[in-house]
Amino acid sequence: MQRAQVLGVKGLVKRYGDHTVVDDVSFHIGAGETYGLLGPNGAGKTTIISMVSGLIPADTGSIEVAGSAMTPASTRLKSHIGLVPQELAIYPDLTAKENLQFFGRLQGLSGRDLKARTGEVLDLIGLADRAGEQTKKFSGGMKRRLNIGIGLLHRPALLILDEPTVGVDPQSRNSILESVEALATEGMAVLYTTHYMEEAERLCDRIAIIDEGRIQAEGTRGELVELTGGVDRIDLHGSGNTGAAASALRRLPGVKHVDGGASGLTLTVHNGPGLLAPVVAEAGGAGMALSSVEIVRPDLESVFLHLTGKALRD
Amino acid sequence: MRGLWTMVANDLRQRIRDKSVVIFSLVVPLALMGVLNLSFGGFDSGSVDLKPAVVIASSEDSGQLGDALLEAVESLPVMDVTVRKVTAGDVRRETKTTGADLGIILPADFTTAVTSGQALSVQVVEGDAAGIETDVLISVVDALLGQFAAGTVAAEAGGSAGLPHDVLGGLAQQAAAGTPALTLSEGQASAEQLSLKGTLVAGQTGLFLLFTVGFGVLGLLAEREKGTLSRLQSTPVAPGTIITAKALVGFILGVVATAILLAAGSILFGVSFGSPAVVALLVLAVAAAATSLTFIVARLVRSAEQANIAQSILAMVLGIAGGAFFPIEASGFLATLMDLNPIAAFIRGLGITAGGGGVTDVAVPLTVMLGFATVATLASRALPDRGARA
Repeated sequence: MQRAQVLGVKGLVKRYGDHTVVDDVSFHIGAGETYGLLGPNGAGKTTIISMVSGLIPADTGSIEVAGSAMTPASTRLKSHIGLVPQELAIYPDLTAKENLQFFGRLQGLSGRDLKARTGEVLDLIGLADRAGEQTKKFSGGMKRRLNIGIGLLHRPALLILDEPTVGVDPQSRNSILESVEALATEGMAVLYTTHYMEEAERLCDRIAIIDEGRIQAEGTRGELVELTGGVDRIDLHGSGNTGAAASALRRLPGVKHVDGGASGLTLTVHNGPGLLAPVVAEAGGAGMALSSVEIVRPDLESVFLHLTGKALRD
Repeated sequence: MRGLWTMVANDLRQRIRDKSVVIFSLVVPLALMGVLNLSFGGFDSGSVDLKPAVVIASSEDSGQLGDALLEAVESLPVMDVTVRKVTAGDVRRETKTTGADLGIILPADFTTAVTSGQALSVQVVEGDAAGIETDVLISVVDALLGQFAAGTVAAEAGGSAGLPHDVLGGLAQQAAAGTPALTLSEGQASAEQLSLKGTLVAGQTGLFLLFTVGFGVLGLLAEREKGTLSRLQSTPVAPGTIITAKALVGFILGVVATAILLAAGSILFGVSFGSPAVVALLVLAVAAAATSLTFIVARLVRSAEQANIAQSILAMVLGIAGGAFFPIEASGFLATLMDLNPIAAFIRGLGITAGGGGVTDVAVPLTVMLGFATVATLASRALPDRGARA
């Protein structure tokens, strides 16, 4: 299905002195799509977001939001964007409700619309019962949720989330991820930066793997995994006649390689889940008594390692 | 414009809620005014309390003027005086032994000498514990003798003119005891001079205004440090709105704090600054001048800590040079430079209004303050931006 383009970025470059922080970055996001920028700290993700949000100018390249060119001077166009900065951008002396209403007014909301939308967002982020409390009394997770709530209060066409789960406990993190999943289903385009592989895999329709200011690869999770050769690993643990089992499995279509010893076998295969049943049958038929079976699929960590030669968290 | 006022209202709400403005802009300066007035207020006119005094006097004058002089001393309106009459020979001893403040020995022919134009001598003896009360009493006796001397002069002049002796006596007595035709009364004029208490109230108000307006630029730096600045910049508000809002917050806080300090200072320390309308003009002008300094600070600093230091230095230099603690005297170029200090202009303006001056009388101080605001604002644009502006 063709989605209406909300954000288009072409040939974006940003330099600080001799250092090129963002180097020829291009991508686009459609309505209802969640697009991830996955890369380690210092890869250039926040600089890209700052240019897309109109906070800093690009040296070269173009940014289009809802069909219009975005620059720091594009005042009106900024109402199409909801920015959730990496830092907690909330006022500690104000209540949750006051924080939402302040930024809502700056985004042009007023009167009943502002009141209604504030209530909806407080419900969405699970803070309706704490709306009247000053946010300095909130936990880190509650502050993070409010931080996101402010960004989506005015129903922006494009929601930009910059590492929204940094420093958050697992429970709040899951709550945040569920909220982001819900937003995409409402038709909002989401630009999501993270250095957590699991978050990118769970949330994003398409992912750009970024390192040293350049997009190294872009696509769906499956497309990116294909870049590594697209092979899975099946680990068979057990005893019995493992030698006969290895010989039988090597003859099975789809099996590329078999390694192993007395305690088990490791198979390299195409489409691990699809081959699981025949693999178990062949191994048992050859006299191997299985105690456990595990399929290990390549992940984005493997992709990043494959593309850059270093681990994602380096 | 809507975004601007939304930001201003939000900032004011936070400043009031965190109480730092109330403490630093109102409580601290009022406390400092109180301390300074306790320390220096005693030097102000009319504020010295004279203790009751005792005078030992001889009263052997055969006429009426000796008693008239002692009655005048005893009925002084500025202090309680008790006159105890003894013989002339006992005045010195009694004064020393009883701890009296002053002894007065009037000659037996005091009235005769005054009315006939003869020379006379009145002796005074200072008590062992002589203080300011003794000095006051001697001054009073001296002044009374001066008036009596007028009688002596009148008698001498009448004698030279050949007036009869009985007429001469009456003329001299009338000249000595009569009401003076010329009197000196103290009034007020727009002489740019405040009382000491007035100077302390005005000076401390001006000094702390420079700190108060700094809350605007500090707010901007706090936004950056909290991370809210980037979120504000991502909203659809016109460029320059954020810095304008911060300056406006500083200006409003400055005007309100200055008005409250002047009003509270007037009530607590008994100072009057004259026409409220003209004083309001001065307050608006000095707040504008002080706020313009924050534009320069915002250009030069990178952090709230640097802003605090810069604002404190500016406040202390301009405050002290402007006479916030004590009047500064200078001449030549330095005097001209100090005349351009907005705090000095503010205090000078309040001196004029306190003396009854109107809008036209404060035109020069107003021009100085508004000129300072204009120049500082323009100068800030020429300075390199080190990152605090929004």
